[in-house]
Amino acid sequence: MNFRSIFTRKANTGNIATQRLKLILTQDRFDVSDDSMQKLQVELTEVLAKYFEFTMHSVKMSLKRDGNSYVLMADFPFKNSKKRR
Amino acid sequence: MGKVIVITSGKGGVGKTTSTANLGTALAMIGKTVVIIDADVGLRNLDVVMGLESRVVYTSMDVIEKRCELEKALVKDRRVEDLFLLAASQRNRKDDIKPEQMLEICERLKEIYDFVLIDSPAGIEQGFHNAAAGADEAIIVTTPDVSAIRDADRIIGLLQNLDIEQITLVLNRLSPTLVKKGNMISKNDVLDILNIDLLGIVPEDPDVIASTNRGVPLVHNNGSPGAEAYMRIARRMIGQRIPIPEMRDDNFFSNILQWFSRNK
Repeated sequence: MNFRSIFTRKANTGNIATQRLKLILTQDRFDVSDDSMQKLQVELTEVLAKYFEFTMHSVKMSLKRDGNSYVLMADFPFKNSKKRR
Repeated sequence: MGKVIVITSGKGGVGKTTSTANLGTALAMIGKTVVIIDADVGLRNLDVVMGLESRVVYTSMDVIEKRCELEKALVKDRRVEDLFLLAASQRNRKDDIKPEQMLEICERLKEIYDFVLIDSPAGIEQGFHNAAAGADEAIIVTTPDVSAIRDADRIIGLLQNLDIEQITLVLNRLSPTLVKKGNMISKNDVLDILNIDLLGIVPEDPDVIASTNRGVPLVHNNGSPGAEAYMRIARRMIGQRIPIPEMRDDNFFSNILQWFSRNK
């Protein structure tokens, strides 16, 4: 516990709001539920895991506006490649 | 040839009318010729915020129904040169006006004036479509909360469907203290989510209420943080490169806390 956290014990509600907003907008923009997104993430992860090793817990997926259209952003960070060493 | 800019938000109560009044006044103060149009037919407010309610004789409805010439319907603001208001009819409904009729008014005004700012009603129905009909550009006003940003996102989509490409954001009522404590959605998060260019940030400023009470736009009393923010935005609107200052937190205690957490 650092000095600051003694005084700010409550969770940062700004972050909570941002996370909620991102989920809401995904649904608004694409008519895709959070469940389907998570399912998609699991399935994509399964496929990619056949070919690459990556850090499962830091897999991130989101839908972002790009000008007039939207793009699906997916981060599958590689594990520190052991093979090269 | 001037520019027609619609000021819109989706959600009500985020500061569209306040922003229209202040940006219109600020642009006139820096020497531009400006007309501000209240597009909120049936629930007009821009005249009140401007303090011009007692001088409204004709409205956009009178112009459309040819009871009055466009030039005659404009109410001149006596506090600053070259600032005019075109009021909305209070007795009509939003669907009494068609987008083509608003477009025609905008086309005629932008031949004469540098800026035509349209105060859009809340919502995504006819009133919004009328307000956006003649617009070359749009300014989205939002506050940093979930509902307002969600609605802003919806409006951005609708504006893009109307082929309005230049869409910028005014982030209103940001509280530096709350952002620092992590209890408000930050500027960067809003920009990341909406993915449009930031035109400016207006900090939470209690003087806004006082100025609305008196019917004198904030920018007439320079010095308040809100007034300065609107003046900077107006200067950016005329193409000047004015940096957007990072919000400073004036809370002494939280600055000390920050110092400690930096040095731990």
